[in-house]
Amino acid sequence: MKKVIIVLASMLVTSVILSACGSGSTSNTASNGAGATGDGAISGTVTFLTNRTDMIGTQFDDYAKRFHEKYPNAQVEFEAITDLDKTTKIRMSSGDYPDVVLIPTIPNSDLPKYFTPLDDLGLNDNIYFKDYKSYEGKVYGISVGATTTGIVYNKKAFADAGITEIPKTLDEFYAASEKLKAKGIVPLASNFKDQWPLYPWISEVPTSMAGDAKLNNDRMNSDTPYQMNNPYGKSMTIIRTMYEKGYLEKDVNSTNWEQSKKDVASGKFAMVMLGNWVIPQIIASGTTSDNIGFFPLPYDNSGKVNVSLAPDWAYGVNKNSENVATAKAFVKWMIEDSGFDQYAGFIPVLKDKKATIPQLQQFDSFKPVTIEAVADDPKVTDIVNHAQITKEALVQEFILAHNPQSVLDKYNAAWAKARKDILK
Amino acid sequence: MGTSYARQRTMILITFLFIPLVLLGLFTYYPAVRLLYLSFTSWDGISDTVQFLGLDNYKEIFTNPDLFGVFLHQIPYVLGGILQNIIAILFAVILNSKIKGRNLFRVLLFVPYIMNGVAVAFMFQYVFDTENGSLNALLGMLGLQSLQHSWLGDTSLVNFSLASVSFWRYMGYTMIIYLGALQSIPGDMYEAATIDGANRFQSLWHLTLPNLTQVIQLNMFLTLSGALAVFDLPFVLTKGGPVGSSETFLLKTTETAFTFNNYGLASAMSIVLLIFTIVILVVQNMAIKRKGDA
Repeated sequence: MKKVIIVLASMLVTSVILSACGSGSTSNTASNGAGATGDGAISGTVTFLTNRTDMIGTQFDDYAKRFHEKYPNAQVEFEAITDLDKTTKIRMSSGDYPDVVLIPTIPNSDLPKYFTPLDDLGLNDNIYFKDYKSYEGKVYGISVGATTTGIVYNKKAFADAGITEIPKTLDEFYAASEKLKAKGIVPLASNFKDQWPLYPWISEVPTSMAGDAKLNNDRMNSDTPYQMNNPYGKSMTIIRTMYEKGYLEKDVNSTNWEQSKKDVASGKFAMVMLGNWVIPQIIASGTTSDNIGFFPLPYDNSGKVNVSLAPDWAYGVNKNSENVATAKAFVKWMIEDSGFDQYAGFIPVLKDKKATIPQLQQFDSFKPVTIEAVADDPKVTDIVNHAQITKEALVQEFILAHNPQSVLDKYNAAWAKARKDILK
Repeated sequence: MGTSYARQRTMILITFLFIPLVLLGLFTYYPAVRLLYLSFTSWDGISDTVQFLGLDNYKEIFTNPDLFGVFLHQIPYVLGGILQNIIAILFAVILNSKIKGRNLFRVLLFVPYIMNGVAVAFMFQYVFDTENGSLNALLGMLGLQSLQHSWLGDTSLVNFSLASVSFWRYMGYTMIIYLGALQSIPGDMYEAATIDGANRFQSLWHLTLPNLTQVIQLNMFLTLSGALAVFDLPFVLTKGGPVGSSETFLLKTTETAFTFNNYGLASAMSIVLLIFTIVILVVQNMAIKRKGDA
């Protein structure tokens, strides 16, 4: 019996991990009115929690210096973490989080509990995604930058395979893939095994096909959101066709994300379907900027194309910060003056600021119609979580299944059940 | 002086025990109780309000094949674990005899256990890679192309591939425990057996193994509870893929908590895992005791 107790105790120790994320978020809301020191001068030190571990000690040092030059009484410090979303959520629920954070995935209705409105920065009329992190008419988060999704390709690989024109229809796209395959080049890097790189095929591409940013939210009104002949089915059929024709990696279950960036850079792989944020990473993996191009995926044969514009993480200011004014000034400075969007390869979130990156200029030359993403409906998120649907896993199963309809049926059944539980 | 010896004794006891007990309570028992409480709720990991669900989470675990069915994926780990114990006993017996370089072999077999689990997983990512992996390259060089596989990509193979890594990693550890137990068996028992005319196999079967029962029990418990709680290998190597065929219960639990924000259900899953471990321990104790009595 003694042994049982010892084992029990040691198992309990391991359980700490899960429950250490206890809630205690209400504790310090009362102690410190947001306005008390907030409307004062821009002074004091603020801390920014970022996911760019690679910029610590380099660019961020420079940012800190330049911010201090502009506001001599203020200092900014940077704290970088790798697992941003989870860590920030846990720290927020403990009440101990820095002055400026990147808002994690929480329902918009919870934003007022943690963040202060940013409407007084005077940016509202000039930014994309104003409503993305807002609640009851107040803006709580401003995106660090915008991304769009398309085909990033190696120009030399295209030239080697004799592709002179960028494909503008789906048939031309398949034909180009065939030429690449004949040359022994892997046409499209799917990064199938890592799962997450498949996300465009079930969010961005279907949204573009539908020409409607609300497509994902409209799932709420249906018990069978996934159909072979609706945008979801059509989009996944493209990647499935690529798989069937052998246009993806030889063994899709043994792909390697880090290696794939090098392979696109070297021309062993020709294309990858992801956001423009991947462009700087591929260039850094061993090629020059003028060898990498970017064009919208031609998902049908009409010759016209929509692309979705999606926000990246959004800056949020801690409402309990001791230096709210400084924190706000820092957010404004990051968006207007820091040059972070250009460094990170983002489309600037300010509407009147043009992207300076050549790949984005090339992308724009195809005159795509941009569809500005809308915030996820919390009810839809609830249904997804309740049904435990990992959207990229759905794409994986769809590609590998003998009968894709059966995969859609399975997910529709899980969806319908969760929808009934949530909307009751 | 006013205080008696007995009182001083109590005071010292209390003061010395205070800090460890507070730490134990704060970091072990409080979270455990909290976990149990959360397992009856639908807490999403962030909101202040918690909705009490009663036993709904537990019902969900046992009725949803997506959650409970993943235990099937862990059978290869159990099989690998049993094999691991058998091989470990053999190695322990061999390395307990007076052969040359036995200390070197002991170290070689034990080293994998010392390595960091995530590093091991990364290492095997290069071994199992279909295109550039060393395992397929070796098979190709030996002219065994027909045996080349997508080791982590084949839904029926992936769990065995992962279990083999686990076997490689823990075999040395199991062996060291057996070795320690072997060395505590008095040498004169073997002498007596030899005089009675027992050959090597007989003394292994009738002398060594019965003396190891306690340790076998311990190792089997470690193996089985380890197989129930597999996490790091599939997490790093396959993320539960392809198409969910290498998902384990613990992987599913963290996914439920941190991806799907359902901390209530995830807490219930942790409790279920805890109960399973206790059940295994009790059943195993009973089985071995009965055998001992007969």
